[in-house]
Amino acid sequence: MGTRSPQHRNGMEIKVSALTKIFRSPSGEEVRALKEVDLTIPANRIFTLLGPSGCGKTTLLRCIVGLEVPDSGEIAIGDTVVWSKKQRIFIPPNKRGIGMVFQTYAIWPHMTVFDNVAYPLQVRRLPREEIRRRVRETLKFVKLEGLENRPATALSGGQQQRVALARALVSEPKVILFDEPLSNLDAKLREETRRELRRFLTELRITAVYVTHDRLEALTLSDLVAVMREGVVVEVGTPLDIYFRPKHKFVADFIGKANFIEGTVESTSEDLIRVVTPMGPIACRRAEGLTPGQRVTVCVRPEAITIDRPGDTSGGTNTFRGRVVSLLFVGENYEGEVAVGKTILAIKTNPAFPIGEGEEVSVYIDPAQCHILME
Amino acid sequence: MRPRISPLTFTFVLIVGCLTVGPVLMLILGSFSRGIGAFGVFTVEKYIRVYTDPSLPKILLNTAAFTVGSSLFATALALILAYLNIRTDIPLKGLFHLISITPMMIPHIVFATSWVLLLNPSNGILNLLLREVLGLKSSPFDIYSLGGMILVEGLLDLPIAYLIIAPAMASFDAALEEAAWVSGGSKFRALRRVTFPILRPAILASLALVIVRSLAAFAVPSVIGMPGRVYVLTTYIYRLISLGFMPDYGRAAAVGVSVLVTSTVLVYVYRRLTARSERYVTISARGYKPAIIGLGRWRYPLSFLTSLLFLVLIVIPVLVLLYVSLIPYVMPPSAKAFSMMTLKHWNYVLHDPLSLRALRNSVFLALVGATLGILLSTFVSYIIVRVKSAGSALLESLAFFSFSFPGLVIGIGFMWFFVRTPLYATIWALLIGYIATYLPYGIRPLTSTFIQISEDLEEASKVAGGGFLYTFRRIVVPLAIPGIVSGWILMASMFLRELSLSAVLSRPGTEVLAVQILRFADDSLWGQVSALGIVMIALSTTMVTLATLVGKHIGKSK
Repeated sequence: MGTRSPQHRNGMEIKVSALTKIFRSPSGEEVRALKEVDLTIPANRIFTLLGPSGCGKTTLLRCIVGLEVPDSGEIAIGDTVVWSKKQRIFIPPNKRGIGMVFQTYAIWPHMTVFDNVAYPLQVRRLPREEIRRRVRETLKFVKLEGLENRPATALSGGQQQRVALARALVSEPKVILFDEPLSNLDAKLREETRRELRRFLTELRITAVYVTHDRLEALTLSDLVAVMREGVVVEVGTPLDIYFRPKHKFVADFIGKANFIEGTVESTSEDLIRVVTPMGPIACRRAEGLTPGQRVTVCVRPEAITIDRPGDTSGGTNTFRGRVVSLLFVGENYEGEVAVGKTILAIKTNPAFPIGEGEEVSVYIDPAQCHILME
Repeated sequence: MRPRISPLTFTFVLIVGCLTVGPVLMLILGSFSRGIGAFGVFTVEKYIRVYTDPSLPKILLNTAAFTVGSSLFATALALILAYLNIRTDIPLKGLFHLISITPMMIPHIVFATSWVLLLNPSNGILNLLLREVLGLKSSPFDIYSLGGMILVEGLLDLPIAYLIIAPAMASFDAALEEAAWVSGGSKFRALRRVTFPILRPAILASLALVIVRSLAAFAVPSVIGMPGRVYVLTTYIYRLISLGFMPDYGRAAAVGVSVLVTSTVLVYVYRRLTARSERYVTISARGYKPAIIGLGRWRYPLSFLTSLLFLVLIVIPVLVLLYVSLIPYVMPPSAKAFSMMTLKHWNYVLHDPLSLRALRNSVFLALVGATLGILLSTFVSYIIVRVKSAGSALLESLAFFSFSFPGLVIGIGFMWFFVRTPLYATIWALLIGYIATYLPYGIRPLTSTFIQISEDLEEASKVAGGGFLYTFRRIVVPLAIPGIVSGWILMASMFLRELSLSAVLSRPGTEVLAVQILRFADDSLWGQVSALGIVMIALSTTMVTLATLVGKHIGKSK
């Protein structure tokens, strides 16, 4: 938390209640982009809206900033209601005091870097000297000092992205929004910028709402992730929760590769929960509210599965016999499939471990990483 | 929350509606009124009188021959030129660009008079020369004829036809033609069976638009047609309102209604034909590279022909005017003529209070009118492109409605209106009329500009705290400068040379250049006509050049 960072101060909570947005095409078709969305975005956290394209995440962001007008519900930023159907309130985007980084950066091509960043302050008619000082500080913060007089279009993609960030930060907004800001960068630069963005945002301690369809971005950047599907927020949690302890199959599936094994709860008394599945009984991590006989899905990430030579450990907890069905070399490891009975499990192995397709193996699943979904 | 039509859209719908639907309504009401002083006293007398006029059939026939003739001539010539420029290796391609932008430099009335000076039967310079050289008793050419009118109007409308046909030719996929050759047809057969059918919409659009233009044309019919007693509808209407003791605006309106209806139908046809191809012409860069055909030994003869056309369109009119403005009376160039050269016409024109007032008025109308016009166009185009509502669709239709307005006819509509207001006989009446009639020329370049500006750039400004007007001033307008400049140039050059609307609305005190030239031509004061014509050409050329430079400078400094 740099004491010299100019925007060091507290952000605000965003509360979205029963928000619905319907798009009507000229032919009269209706698309419900948001369906009664309830969401609280806590202050001073990096909050990510994650979901496949068309899930409504960008629409939700645009409703928060005011570029889209919802059909019903309410949005409050801090104590201020910025949109309410019932109270007939609509605060236009230019009065909401929000910063936003656009997917295309939306850098104004006819202005210099300085003018692009100074714009939000010029709108507010601040004294010339103060504008100059704050623009300089902000540009320093995003590591663009010395480029003030460059035409904004003469910058690289990564630099333009930082100009967009500087412009969003310069007026010290209560909230900053990001609409897939990394999607226009190439893979290497994206990784670099992601790390940098994380540093900026951590230093700022500001309420940040970040929209992406890239799960890696969501996991690395966020304090909290909301996974959306078809206009509904499916689940909200920390990146670790979402990854290791998802409640919904959709979330588990979207956030990374997972094996789903259907089964019936046998006992809940012990430290581990036993679930009977077609591939045999699986010991799973404890979860609340389960009763014996209940149908559940066990979720196992490929990396939770250990492959070994057959024979020696068979019969132990969560140890099964299987046969390698396929193996694919993907660089840092092999991705493969192992058949245990009729169940096919996706696995990952170390390339140094010599196995081949068709070989018999022993399969061990760490009970602490067997997660029960209660969908 | 939001009303279906925002107050902003509504305001502009109202303004544009008054400008375009207003005069049409007044025209229709006027045609059913007893007289300009008895507006609203219903009668069909005007219709009966004017449509039973025994001279009308002949006038309709003339109009049909004139419009269709010049339309066919201009379109055929444009096809040949576009084909040569785009599909062949003809030299001097730069000339084609000049040919297509000339009409902005040389006003129609000036162009028409220079042809009169060349080819009139009594003392046309070319006629006199030919008589001398060939020993003829009488002049070989008579410009004062239907043929002469078609020739000159066709040449004047050539650039419009070219601008419609050339893009169609350029976006044409040569592979289709190649396929036809490969299938065993000859090149000519491929041209006839494949190329032309594909170009048909563009050809029909060109035909329709040139008919609309020549139907509305007033310069050629008045300068060339009237002396030869070849009347068409515009000159017929003009006679109704300008001759005799009592100008009859009722009868003029009654004929005008038919002209307007015809014109509107043709423009509708034109818009249907070009709806797909033209609307997104700026975006649909499909990247077809038409195959270039070698002309072989025809290369130079054909380029000689196009150079000749360039001479006829640009060089000769200017030279003739310059020459006639400097000799005491019209005669073929000779040692004697050059020895008699004088500045007396220039002296006359530059000291004639009427001409000077016309000059001042025209420059004022061009500068102020184009500036106000482009201001209105900018807002209207912005709404058309950015606001997707029933209101903006209505605004688009209203704005393009005036595209079909024949100036003289709509001038009569405005006349019925202005007579009832203090604006009558003021320069503001002309200004309002100009903006209403030429609005589409400002809106066209701007809508295509706005389509190309990403909406994100404006949203970023809103989020940064900019209100609508602030965003408009700091983001939208600076980014749209190229479109604004080209729209301004187009409007200013049209206002500077405006004739047909002014012929109705101009009153003592509000003379404009083109009307002043028409007066001089009526009195056969060819020296004065030429001097003033040169002034007009110089003015519009300077204005276009300056505006282009300013636009480039602004574009660069940003």
